[in-house]
Amino acid sequence: MIRLHSVSKSYPGGQTALDEVTFEIPRGQFVILTGASGAGKTTLLRLLYREELPTSGQVLVAGRNVSALPARKVPYLRRNIGVVFQSFRLIERKTVFENIAYLPRILGYDTTRQRRLAIEALRRVGLAHRLQAFPSQLSGGEQQRVAIARALINDPELLLADEPTGNLDGDLAQQIALLLLDCQRRGTTVVMATHDRELIRRIGQRVLTLDRGRLASDERLPPGDLLAAVTEEPE
Amino acid sequence: MTLFQALAYFFREAAVGLARSWKVSLLAVVTIGVSLFLGGTVQLVTSNLAHAVGEWQEQARLTLYLRSDAGAAELQSLAVLVATGSRGSALLEVSAAEAVARFHQSFPSLAGLFSGLEGDPLPPSWELQIPPGERGSERFAAWVTELRTHPAVLMVDDDLDWLAQAGRLLALVRATGLALSGLLLGAAIFTIASVVRLILLLYRDEIAVQRLVGATEFFVRGPFYVQGLLQGFVGAVGALAALALIRLVLLANLGPSLAAELLLSRFLGWPQQLVLVAIGALAGFGGAILSVRREVAGEPGTS
Repeated sequence: MIRLHSVSKSYPGGQTALDEVTFEIPRGQFVILTGASGAGKTTLLRLLYREELPTSGQVLVAGRNVSALPARKVPYLRRNIGVVFQSFRLIERKTVFENIAYLPRILGYDTTRQRRLAIEALRRVGLAHRLQAFPSQLSGGEQQRVAIARALINDPELLLADEPTGNLDGDLAQQIALLLLDCQRRGTTVVMATHDRELIRRIGQRVLTLDRGRLASDERLPPGDLLAAVTEEPE
Repeated sequence: MTLFQALAYFFREAAVGLARSWKVSLLAVVTIGVSLFLGGTVQLVTSNLAHAVGEWQEQARLTLYLRSDAGAAELQSLAVLVATGSRGSALLEVSAAEAVARFHQSFPSLAGLFSGLEGDPLPPSWELQIPPGERGSERFAAWVTELRTHPAVLMVDDDLDWLAQAGRLLALVRATGLALSGLLLGAAIFTIASVVRLILLLYRDEIAVQRLVGATEFFVRGPFYVQGLLQGFVGAVGALAALALIRLVLLANLGPSLAAELLLSRFLGWPQQLVLVAIGALAGFGGAILSVRREVAGEPGTS
């Protein structure tokens, strides 16, 4: 699903964010990206959804060389990638429905279909009853679940989550992690960046550790209790 | 998404955007409205003047004032010379008595001016319409020169000199007005560009989300182009409405006067009105393109 080959990223001024990073992520895998602040986690995710270009090396997503993709084709790549941020990035003046129905609207679906898809996505995150609420009327955890619903509305092949639990306390962070694990269980490849060691331990999946832009380790942790909880749930 | 769906979306989003930032949008509409009002005023005045000058040119006359003592042979020779250049235009002979009568009719307050004078105070004259095809030609100029030197002719008065001056004045008024409205239109485009840029900044978060979920640049930029277009369109329609209203008020206040007849008798024709609206809409559209291009150039993911 994802393949990085000798990927480096430097910024003007000489700061190196990534240095010769190489790895592969098969389709359907859940991968945690960790490392200290400034290790290059966010930059790596931004390369995957072509918000940035690598200075050198190749980034392949779903068989497409993202780094060589013409700008006009970037939107079509992104329609298959869901992205979730620490800051939720919801539009305050729009309702939950309007916030998550951007992609169906872009695709020209009629309102009925937009609404059906929105309700389906919200049902997956347990918020189908908040369709007409505004973000300011939701808790932090609910806002992040809406952001996840937005990312899932088109049933993407790949879900990228950049510190999705960073603004949430323990229980809410756990709920979000469970949602992401559920996405993986349904076949979506998930890459989650986090530096929360406790959460990593409780998920217990493949963990890529970045250290000052270099891939320091690629290890597989034993299954944690959150993974077990999701596996036991009926689909 | 079909083009129709996209356009419907653009117009809906543009309307929402304009309503959300109605104060700055109003500023842009007023700016473009003022520039087009000025341009429309120039167009109105110059088209009325041009129409008047055109009518005068149609009626341009050549008047030959004759010597009172001209003999029959000299008048005969003059008649032959006139016939060679007049191209069949009807000749109107005005006797000295008729000239005085005309003067009294035109200037009744000066009726006593000629009292006590001996003989004919005004000379007899021949008047003929200048053939339209002849005006300005070298042949016509040579013919008039020949008429001026004819022994039976006291003086030749043709309308072409002052009509040419009126034409030059008209061109000057038109050029000055157009230059001024061009300057104002430039300022209006700049204002619209600034307003659209401001709205773009207000919508920065939403644009980022749209791009994130896979919106094309056409989809992202479309509403902003339509916003500029709408601002220009509304400004132009407002300018036309103001122009029509002010003309009616002036006509009502001026009454049947020379100024009203010369400058305001006809409103702009439909083609002129459509051109003015099109200029407004295009200026708005141009301003939006300028600002969106500049604003989007630095956005990540669009390089």
